[in-house]
Amino acid sequence: MSNPKVDRRDFLKITAIGVTALAGAQVIRRAEASEPTPSGGRQWAMVVDQSLCNGCGYCVMACRAHNDVSPEITWNPVLEAGQVGDKKIYLPRPCMQCSQAPCVDVCPVKASYYRPDGIVMIDYDRCIGCRYCEVACPYGARAFNWKAFTEQNPAVPEWGQPEVARRPRGVVEKCAFCYQRIDRGLALGMTPGVDPDATPACVVVCPVGARFFGDLNDPGSNVSKLLKARTSYRLRADMGTGPRVYYLSATEENA
Amino acid sequence: MKIRPKLSKLSPWLAWLIGLGVVIAAGVGAGLIVFWKGLWITHLTDLIPWGLWITIDLSSIAVSAGAFSLCAAVYLLGLKRFQPVARTATFIGLIGYSMALLTLLMDIGRPDRFWYAVVYWNKHSLLWEVTMCVTLYLTVLVLESLPIFAQFEWLKMRWPKLAEKMSHVHHYAPYLAVIGLGLSMLHQSSLGAVYGVLKARPFWYRPDISVLFIISAVAGGMALTVFASMLSARLTRRASVDDNLLDRVAYFIGWTLVLYLYFRFWDALSMTYTYQPGRTEGLQLLTQGPLSFNFWVGEILLGIVTPMILLLYRPTRTSQLWRMVALALVVGGVVAYRWDTNISGLMIVLSYLPGEPTVEYAHYVPSLIEILSGAGVVAFGLLAFSLGVRYLKVVNHSLTVEEHENRKVEAKKPAPA
Repeated sequence: MSNPKVDRRDFLKITAIGVTALAGAQVIRRAEASEPTPSGGRQWAMVVDQSLCNGCGYCVMACRAHNDVSPEITWNPVLEAGQVGDKKIYLPRPCMQCSQAPCVDVCPVKASYYRPDGIVMIDYDRCIGCRYCEVACPYGARAFNWKAFTEQNPAVPEWGQPEVARRPRGVVEKCAFCYQRIDRGLALGMTPGVDPDATPACVVVCPVGARFFGDLNDPGSNVSKLLKARTSYRLRADMGTGPRVYYLSATEENA
Repeated sequence: MKIRPKLSKLSPWLAWLIGLGVVIAAGVGAGLIVFWKGLWITHLTDLIPWGLWITIDLSSIAVSAGAFSLCAAVYLLGLKRFQPVARTATFIGLIGYSMALLTLLMDIGRPDRFWYAVVYWNKHSLLWEVTMCVTLYLTVLVLESLPIFAQFEWLKMRWPKLAEKMSHVHHYAPYLAVIGLGLSMLHQSSLGAVYGVLKARPFWYRPDISVLFIISAVAGGMALTVFASMLSARLTRRASVDDNLLDRVAYFIGWTLVLYLYFRFWDALSMTYTYQPGRTEGLQLLTQGPLSFNFWVGEILLGIVTPMILLLYRPTRTSQLWRMVALALVVGGVVAYRWDTNISGLMIVLSYLPGEPTVEYAHYVPSLIEILSGAGVVAFGLLAFSLGVRYLKVVNHSLTVEEHENRKVEAKKPAPA
């Protein structure tokens, strides 16, 4: 080593510049409300009564129209879930809006985050399309835009009008409890879950009234009352994800 | 009649370059189609969103692990005589990480946002941690490679002062080795943990994938370094090796494989007890399902057991041929392990309907576009290494640290005159 003293000083200088650059990057990153299970305020939840659902699939179509979803993607499929007596049982599956969402944990760029009201959101301007969240989600609730959706939406106008921007090619998308309807409704003084214009499109369109929506923190909301009165379950509750979609089972008595 | 003399001029070197050039051209073409058309032209789906490209990412990072482990051996453990081997490993590392970045750029849906992880931090995400470590470590590798690039004759002629400055970075090698060791320990294991932390995938959800990833990476990375050195020395006079050094590294690889096999054994055995939906089916994919040949032959028999014996048994290790065979098998075994790990967890689709989870199987065979672009990336790596051997003397065990110093003095002399 010709001049080790200077070498070391240079080395420290380089390290200092590197650390400063990283700290700078940290400062310009956007701060977001991204804490799991916030306690205060409203906590939106959905309740699905399987004894009423007849598998008509209206909710699938309304969802496609209001959220401008490509026909190749389904945010909210209706699955067959066995039989009770002679009657087929169905299970509609929106995003569970988990309170401990694996997708939020794994996203390398914080494109997935929690809203204070519990809705798990995707920032489509942030998503880099790595698809780690798809791999991490236990419910298959996320879909990747493998190609650009440029065609006319076949669900429009029959099932409703798009209320959100179309997602570009190369990002992951999913159900977000029609947050746009909730936010607009609240701004106009309406109550989500009661006023149709402030309630997710799938809940509003359901012809048999199998879906319910409301605030878990409001003991008077219809979801709070239903969950108190009847036994409910959540999908893969053993995983500890804390889903905000509750199901009321179909039984021999009520089916 | 006129073609014939021209053909006879086609040296093996030129033929090799042309061959690589064709594959790279095909790869670039395929890559451009991916950027233009989008990822729907691949065979990736929402059920299997990670496929061949991820395997290339994981594998090229794994077989680059020779760089950090040999640099640590030379500069931290004081095994100075291995410095020329570490030099080769560093160059291979630089190539390997560039290959991974190239592949990743194709794989992500929004390549224009590739830098977001550096700016928007999610400290909970292992993928974020891996991205940061890989980015920082690539910087370390570039710095560590500067003295290698300083060996470029053209550069020394054209800009002798720059070449001298680049060569001077060699003095920071011990510091770079410390940083490189830390970053590599982190991301080599975290690449396994990317899979290991996912509770939704019971076959992946176990803590030791990260351990297996780093041990196999050290074995595979050193194996590729020694193999590439030996092959270069056989093919060109521009590469010269000290077989004694390579023999010692090969012996160490043999013992690393013992450790790897030990962990792999307990990893698999512990999973054979108690049925768990998804996990048991995942193991069955490997032991008796569609991946069983890959697992038993590719990973275990040819990937670990055979080379372990060949490298620990002195007569086969000292044989040039057997040692090279063994080292190539180690690299193949590491790639097979990465492929199996990624695909087995994705092929198992666990139901979330009420009641005990049931298992369905998803399928994936890479499309031609994926294979062509992947081959292009590999050919790029081979080309870069070949050029390095020829013009940067990356495999030259007669080149020592002192020689760097001498050259520097020579370069300085004409300046005052």
